[in-house]
Amino acid sequence: MSDTSPHNKESIFPPPFVAGKHDFHSITEAICGVVEKPLNINWILALGVAGTVMAMLFASIGYLFWEGTGIWGLNNPVGWGWAIVNFVFWVGIGHAGTLISAVLFLFRQKWRTAINRFAEAMTIFAVICALVFPGIHVGRVWAAYWMLPIPNQMAMWPNFRSPLLWDVFAVSTYFTVSLLFWYVGLVPDLATLRDRAKSKLAFWSYGLFSLGWRGANRHWQNYERAYMLLAALATPLVLSVHTIVSFDFAVSVLPGWHTTIFPPYFVAGAIFSGFAMVLTLAVPSRKLFGLEDFITIRHIENMNKIILVTGTLVGYAYAMEFFIAWYSGSPYEGFAFINRAFGPYWWAYLAMVSCNVISPQFFWSKKMRTNLTVTFILSIFVNIGMWFERFVITMTLHRDFLPSSWDYYAPTVYDMSTFLGSFGLFFTLFILFLKFLPAVAISEVKGVMPQADPHWEGYAHAHHAVSNAVSNKEAH
Amino acid sequence: MGHANTFNEDAKLPEAAAKRAQTIALACAVVGLGASFGGGLLGLFGGDAKELHHQFYFSWLTAFFFFTTLSLGGLFFTILHHLVRASWSTGLRRIAENLAMNIPLMAACALVLSMGFGDVYHWTHIDPAKDPIFAVKEPYLNVGFFTIRAVVFFALWAVLAFFFRKNSVAQDGAQSAESASAFNFKMRRLAPLSMLAFALSLTFFSFDWLMSLDPHWFSTMFGVYVFAGTVVALFATLILSVLWLTRNNAVSTDTLTIGVFHDAGKLMFGFTVFWTYITFSQYYLIWYANIPEETGWFMHRAQGGWEHVGLLIAVGHFILPFWTIMSRHVKRNRFMLGLVAGWMLFMHFVDLYFVIMPTHHHHLHLHWLDLTTFVGVGGVFLMGFLFWCKRDALVARKDPQLTASTGYDNV
Repeated sequence: MSDTSPHNKESIFPPPFVAGKHDFHSITEAICGVVEKPLNINWILALGVAGTVMAMLFASIGYLFWEGTGIWGLNNPVGWGWAIVNFVFWVGIGHAGTLISAVLFLFRQKWRTAINRFAEAMTIFAVICALVFPGIHVGRVWAAYWMLPIPNQMAMWPNFRSPLLWDVFAVSTYFTVSLLFWYVGLVPDLATLRDRAKSKLAFWSYGLFSLGWRGANRHWQNYERAYMLLAALATPLVLSVHTIVSFDFAVSVLPGWHTTIFPPYFVAGAIFSGFAMVLTLAVPSRKLFGLEDFITIRHIENMNKIILVTGTLVGYAYAMEFFIAWYSGSPYEGFAFINRAFGPYWWAYLAMVSCNVISPQFFWSKKMRTNLTVTFILSIFVNIGMWFERFVITMTLHRDFLPSSWDYYAPTVYDMSTFLGSFGLFFTLFILFLKFLPAVAISEVKGVMPQADPHWEGYAHAHHAVSNAVSNKEAH
Repeated sequence: MGHANTFNEDAKLPEAAAKRAQTIALACAVVGLGASFGGGLLGLFGGDAKELHHQFYFSWLTAFFFFTTLSLGGLFFTILHHLVRASWSTGLRRIAENLAMNIPLMAACALVLSMGFGDVYHWTHIDPAKDPIFAVKEPYLNVGFFTIRAVVFFALWAVLAFFFRKNSVAQDGAQSAESASAFNFKMRRLAPLSMLAFALSLTFFSFDWLMSLDPHWFSTMFGVYVFAGTVVALFATLILSVLWLTRNNAVSTDTLTIGVFHDAGKLMFGFTVFWTYITFSQYYLIWYANIPEETGWFMHRAQGGWEHVGLLIAVGHFILPFWTIMSRHVKRNRFMLGLVAGWMLFMHFVDLYFVIMPTHHHHLHLHWLDLTTFVGVGGVFLMGFLFWCKRDALVARKDPQLTASTGYDNV
């Protein structure tokens, strides 16, 4: 294939999935090496910092349980504050993982193999962080189980017509399926770690979770089938979870909340923020753990393109909301949006639009998309912007239909320590994951190598590998 | 192996097949347009026939919009192909380009509506002083600005369609693989901005031509809703076109393989679900909130016989195709998938009918003009499509990615 366009700077076909001169063995070595190397001081330090921040979360929650939600900045029109903002923020982060692992799998986007493992891990940890917030927001935490429809002698049930209840189902289903999907994908790699284990403890623990995997033909057949089914089951979840989350707002009769574009707009925003978080994590970790050959510039660039697309979709939704608010001729709709952009929270609106709509526009340039520093900085901007988006939406409450009850919401130090602390929880889990599990799916990456092609002509003909995206179609 | 010039097929539409199709298209156009214009003109004489005149414009709008979405779908597919640098769909590219080339024809069909514009769009004769809700949107919704937007949209789409097809056909004459890929790069460069322009223009086109039929009603989702239906109809059209071309040996099944066919089916399935998601969300949020200024549109369509059409759409546009094309066997069976594709086109028409016609008939009232305008505009559309199909090769023969497309199969 290399002879079709040898003189072009850029080939018509995409670059290979794995950079450098790798064979199957060197891939195993490179990825397992991260896990098998002795603990290094930087890792311990990072875990220490994350753990300390996490301790702040638990301390804040402890005080909240003791004192009640009065320690937060909630007031009368704004009955939902940072807790719902943080919940939606964290649930949204998770979506990129599911999109990468399930949707891109169904679309046969083979570049996903390098990033799906830790994007899925990110999903699970983000959903854990998300679930904390509605759980502690109920006030009387000892009654939190009332969120579940459990038959009881008081014949008391949650409101089945409330999207808040559907959230309980949607998010817990999402968590369960994501966890299963992640685990099924891990099984062959856990077996690899088991087989290479030097210590008894490692041998037994990896052995326990690798479920007796021996890499037999039958194992692979069942595995592929299970993986495919889970991908098909997880795909609707990418849409449904954030759709239900958007229903929390959109089924109401509040101007600024009730608008029909909310479901796909929330989903696009979730994927947008999720990819930003994947990049925030991937850019430093590929360097720290020497995974640059697997998470290549091509992967970074592809993710930046998705950020540009979803950021533009979110911008489209903002534009539609504004246009229809005016077009509807409803004075309340009009007021809600004017108040968002020019009211007391104008700075939040400005932060949202600049981070979510303006900042991704840099990615129109290939130079920017392939620049790691720019990518890292912009990914943080997007994270900030998407948090502000949920803040802006929630703060629509601060001026309700009755001007005498208008108020200004400001967070307290406990709001902040809880939110900051949730990052501690997230990073603690993530840092542990990087050290104890293979951060890149070993078996899947091998599957997209040119060597995995039954028609591969051997190392002597390795230049054919350049177009491995299509090589298996052309080799006959 | 891997050389761009291994593709030796002529990929020309055989004369006999073209003649036969053109005769049918011409017959449809003549009979359909003749009957429709006859009916419409009869209405001018007033009396009992006056209703025919109104009916003509509403039926025309439905048929016009239906076939315009097929062209727009073709344009969307063309842009998307270059935007995501797909290789599997290279074999389908030219068909989509040919569909998009009908935009100028559809603009001509739009002109027919201008004569009965006031009959279709009631906001043309609302007095803003008496209608405070309309007074707000009057700066947007007035005949002058509407016309400007319509001209801009059709001009934009026509320019895009011409740009992509011109470069695509020019590539057919490329002497080397390098000069061929230069065209790919050129088209890829324009794809992102084209997609942005397409998204915005389709949104406001659907606001203008469909949503404003009820000038008080609004939904932020409406543009996405029309887009979703458009894409389903596009894949249905592509599938039927592939079937027709391969049956007539215009393109061999080695080029448009069962794998390509299968994947077009998967995408039709995917977008059917997407359409359902969008349509349901729009309905559901309005139903749940139950705010009078929004519910009117659905109330109107939930009575007078229209509720049966709504039910038909729920079953026919979602439940039936969902359970049918979910199966891999159906997607890989040319006859079965062709059948479902035809059905989806029919449902797309019903869907548009459900949006447009209740504005005119408070009670479900099928009219013979619905059929004749459809046949007439359809005949015109088909003639245009065949013209472009006959003109050049049916497959982008020199595209270096074609080898990836022809050997393509995903099981």
